[in-house]
Amino acid sequence: MVAGPARHHITVCVNFGGHEMDISSIAFANSLILGLSIASIFFVAALGLTIIYGTAGVINMAHGEFIMLGAYTVYAMQTFLGVPYFLCIPAAFIVVGAIGFAVEKSLIRYLYERPLDTLLATWGVSLILIQGTRLIFGSEPKFVQIPSFLSSNVEVGGLSLGAFRIFIILMALALAASVWFIFYRSDFGIKIRAVTQNREMAASFGINSGQVYSFTFALGAGLAGVAGALFGALNIVLPTMGIEYVVEAFLTVITGGGALMGSAIASLAIGEWQSIFALVTNSTFAQFMIFVLIVVFLRFRPEGLISASGKRR
Amino acid sequence: MTQNLYHNKTLQWLFYIIAFGFLGLVPLISDDEFLLNQLATYAVYGMLAVSISLCWGSGGILNMGQGIAFGLGAYCMAMTMQMQTQADGTIPPFMLNNGLDSLPLLWVPFQDTTTGIIMALVVPTAFYLIFGGIMFTARVSGPFFAIMTLATLSAFATIFVDLQAYTNGVNGISPPGSLNLGDMEIDPYSSGTYWFVFAMLLVCTFAAKLINQSRFGLIVRALKDDPERVRFLGYNVAVYETLVYTLSGLIAAIAGCCFAVLTQYVSPAQFNVGFSISIVIWAAIGGRNSLIWAMFGAFTVQGAQSYVGDQFLNTWILILGFSFILVVRFLPGGVAGFVETILDRFTKPEVEPDPVDLKISDAKEVAK
Amino acid sequence: MKFSRRNFLKNSAMVGALAAPSIWIPQSRGAWGATLTEGEPIKVGVLFSLTGSLAVPEEDSTLVMQYAIDEINAAGGIAGSQIEPVIIDAKSDFGVYTEKARELILRDKVISIFGCYTSASRKAILPTVMDRDNLLFYPTCYEGAECVQNIVCTGPLANQHSKDLIPFMVENYGKRVFFVGSNYVWPKESNKNAKIWLENAGGELLGEEYIPLGDSEFGPVLGKIREAQPDFIFSTVVGASDIAFHRQFKQAGFSAETMPIASLTTGEIETKAMGAEYGAGHYTSAPYFQALDNPTNQKFVEGFLSSPYGKNGVTHYNMAETYNSAYVFKAAMEKAIADHGFNEVTSMRLRDACAGIKLSADISPEGETWIDEDNFNTWLVPKIGHCQSDGSFKIVKEAAEHVAPDPFSIYPDAGTCRANGLVAPDGTVRTDVI
Repeated sequence: MVAGPARHHITVCVNFGGHEMDISSIAFANSLILGLSIASIFFVAALGLTIIYGTAGVINMAHGEFIMLGAYTVYAMQTFLGVPYFLCIPAAFIVVGAIGFAVEKSLIRYLYERPLDTLLATWGVSLILIQGTRLIFGSEPKFVQIPSFLSSNVEVGGLSLGAFRIFIILMALALAASVWFIFYRSDFGIKIRAVTQNREMAASFGINSGQVYSFTFALGAGLAGVAGALFGALNIVLPTMGIEYVVEAFLTVITGGGALMGSAIASLAIGEWQSIFALVTNSTFAQFMIFVLIVVFLRFRPEGLISASGKRR
Repeated sequence: MTQNLYHNKTLQWLFYIIAFGFLGLVPLISDDEFLLNQLATYAVYGMLAVSISLCWGSGGILNMGQGIAFGLGAYCMAMTMQMQTQADGTIPPFMLNNGLDSLPLLWVPFQDTTTGIIMALVVPTAFYLIFGGIMFTARVSGPFFAIMTLATLSAFATIFVDLQAYTNGVNGISPPGSLNLGDMEIDPYSSGTYWFVFAMLLVCTFAAKLINQSRFGLIVRALKDDPERVRFLGYNVAVYETLVYTLSGLIAAIAGCCFAVLTQYVSPAQFNVGFSISIVIWAAIGGRNSLIWAMFGAFTVQGAQSYVGDQFLNTWILILGFSFILVVRFLPGGVAGFVETILDRFTKPEVEPDPVDLKISDAKEVAK
Repeated sequence: MKFSRRNFLKNSAMVGALAAPSIWIPQSRGAWGATLTEGEPIKVGVLFSLTGSLAVPEEDSTLVMQYAIDEINAAGGIAGSQIEPVIIDAKSDFGVYTEKARELILRDKVISIFGCYTSASRKAILPTVMDRDNLLFYPTCYEGAECVQNIVCTGPLANQHSKDLIPFMVENYGKRVFFVGSNYVWPKESNKNAKIWLENAGGELLGEEYIPLGDSEFGPVLGKIREAQPDFIFSTVVGASDIAFHRQFKQAGFSAETMPIASLTTGEIETKAMGAEYGAGHYTSAPYFQALDNPTNQKFVEGFLSSPYGKNGVTHYNMAETYNSAYVFKAAMEKAIADHGFNEVTSMRLRDACAGIKLSADISPEGETWIDEDNFNTWLVPKIGHCQSDGSFKIVKEAAEHVAPDPFSIYPDAGTCRANGLVAPDGTVRTDVI
């Protein structure tokens, strides 16, 4: 494939015994690019949660299930309505956003004063969503079709990345830009930021804070739905697929502190770390080390990288 | 009666004694082996619910990783039981398959039963002490702490699966025999074992209740409501939080040991996120602020799953999820809170003295 | 205070009661045991997960058992008695597995249990099965390294599975291999066996990677594969991860023509779920494929898929193994009844009767198989299937002879598993080797 890249010999000693490895610079570079892809996956998964947590301080344990619902929406639209993949993505946004809106109006709004109870109540919601999906669609994995040009690999020099992964990176950037635009350049964004800083004061300025919270929650849920639309195509569609993303999305959000930039930096750090560590040792140990590092980091900086404006936790 | 009966200490202790009395009578009524084993397992779940009620209901610390202490205690006990079945000098078969030819350092303390049991209690408690200490001195609390416990639990699950040579990974440890204490074999199906586990449950619950009623408990409940205020009053909040968290870990470790004795199997599934959150669900449904009602919550939910769950099959989880949401939303105190509210109806409010009618003329008279 | 004294008295009474050792001593187990009564149906336990994350492979086992039992009952049952299955949902939870296994043995008094898929669930219920002298029929491939006197396995062992696959792939694609597996016991044991076959075939192992169970991020592993450029990949990735692996493999630009994945786990259910374009071109080794061309299999596939149990639409190796276990049970029961009389059949006598039981090609959809009389695993014929563009498999190679099951094939120092226990090279016998 590539004519003799310079080989840098690195000897690495891993915990459970010595482990010698030659890692070429190409492999390392590829690993960095893959880390970018993993980071974009974490970021997209965590984006909805960032918004909900950053605004209302709600820890939504059902976030993984919103992701799962996005994937099932794409599956259902493709299989039963024949909608092409690219249109399924905004459809997932709308459908899951609507579900999120309903959940907020019926349950979350009564629990804003009690953060621990929100955690628990949303866990109950996640149980219901998983089991409900199982009852409707069955437990077997489902298949999502993506356009064939995305099923290939892109190679430049010795560096390569799957086309679909590049698509996810682009989607991550697009979503980040859209969210930034909504928050900092739109009317609604001003309202959200006002309500985040001081709910009562914003209300006294005539902002319907209840509605702002509802729409923000719906926005977060919709973004989770988009994440699901992407992940369902990357991996598989299963009722339990969301669980894989929940803990890591949380850790990304909390490490980042609840701000958009914080989540971006946190997901970049975690993604690159996971990729490089997996190259040097193995994926399991990489995952373990991430947990440990995050716990240590949060011990020293519990408010995260970039504190979300205002709200004192 | 002017005090809500629910809060009457004497009646509370009476209730505890009667409830435990009934539980203790079970083996005299039935000698169905399966039932005794099953109820003893429920007692283990009850202990876990009590431990959560202690640190969450009393201390306001939501711990979603109680599986850590439970799993560590269970693993230590299973390792002790495994070594008991090994003839002197031999090592567990699964280690041979993983390329080990001598007993690893980690397992050496478990060759001796007494040391093994002590380890089973000390290791989880020490971990909780250190982890809690680190977290609480950094003032990590509330939902942050809950997520930290989740992350740590996941890390434990991952590492126990990965260290296959030491823990047999996902397959877990199945000691092929029951625990032997001296000459006695602890048969998991006997009434003796039932009473032993029941005694552990009793000791843990009563001890937790005494803690709650002590001065220590008073401060812990105060810091649940407002840690800042307690801090300003001069108490070291981190110490109290760490202690109550550690005590709850000790109870969970005891539960883990009993579990290993009863089921003769332990695996990284003990570190499942779903199981640890289930414990919180039991305590929430029963009543997080009450030790005995949390215990009843565990009995009810697990009992329903065993007996009614088969009827409902697929919809059982839906029912559980819905019940949980309803309880959290409408009955934050669980069934216990509901009982408290009902008993409140029978409590007459203190009779207020007649309001003094102050007119200027009367005031002069009264002032004389 | 009044109550503390009352407490104390109560507690000390309990301590006194506990001190009496008699209550610790277990009730005599010899007299206990499931027995059959003439005229009453034969009760068996069917313990698989019908709900939860393991439902996808396990529910089919329950459905196939029900189908097989209906078939046996319709043909007259066993010695005139009908089989009564007690169907239990293990809810993908090992705690439930343990509890329900106990219930089946202690309460329902079943003569044997058909159950378990993951090794973990098997290890969870074996202590109870061993303790109460019952019998477990375990119908899935597993890693071996056990010598238990209460289990009959109808799935392939690690030494049977990859014996033909590795040399076939080396012959057809090249000597350089990369191993990928899920991070737990079975893939690691399978890889140990595969390494031996690879060495015999003159192949070269370029790398061995394990990913966390249930994880679906294969980017780093595929990166290492790209660096190493093997001729083929040997996969023991299981479950949903397997599907993700095949998808990401193609999306990363690899092709099944130049670097196929040879797996032990990818069956019809997985290829259906991953999408035919992702599965096509890869290889699987199993004793059974839906496309097997023999009259027994055709009857099985047609009959099963048209019955109410065939709702999932495919037949798959795990199901065939479960189906066979029902017929092994039938044959062994008939033998035990003939030897001892109906009322004297116990689970252990049934187990002894299983030794050497042969299922002819008329009964077994995968062809003739028989139970080894020493270690109670199955002699079978591994086949290699090449996945077609519609998700079905075309058989490209069948082993010429049945392969013997050997649970300790790579641990000769441990000994040989015989009917009475694990016999070490120095002659000592150990039972209940888990």
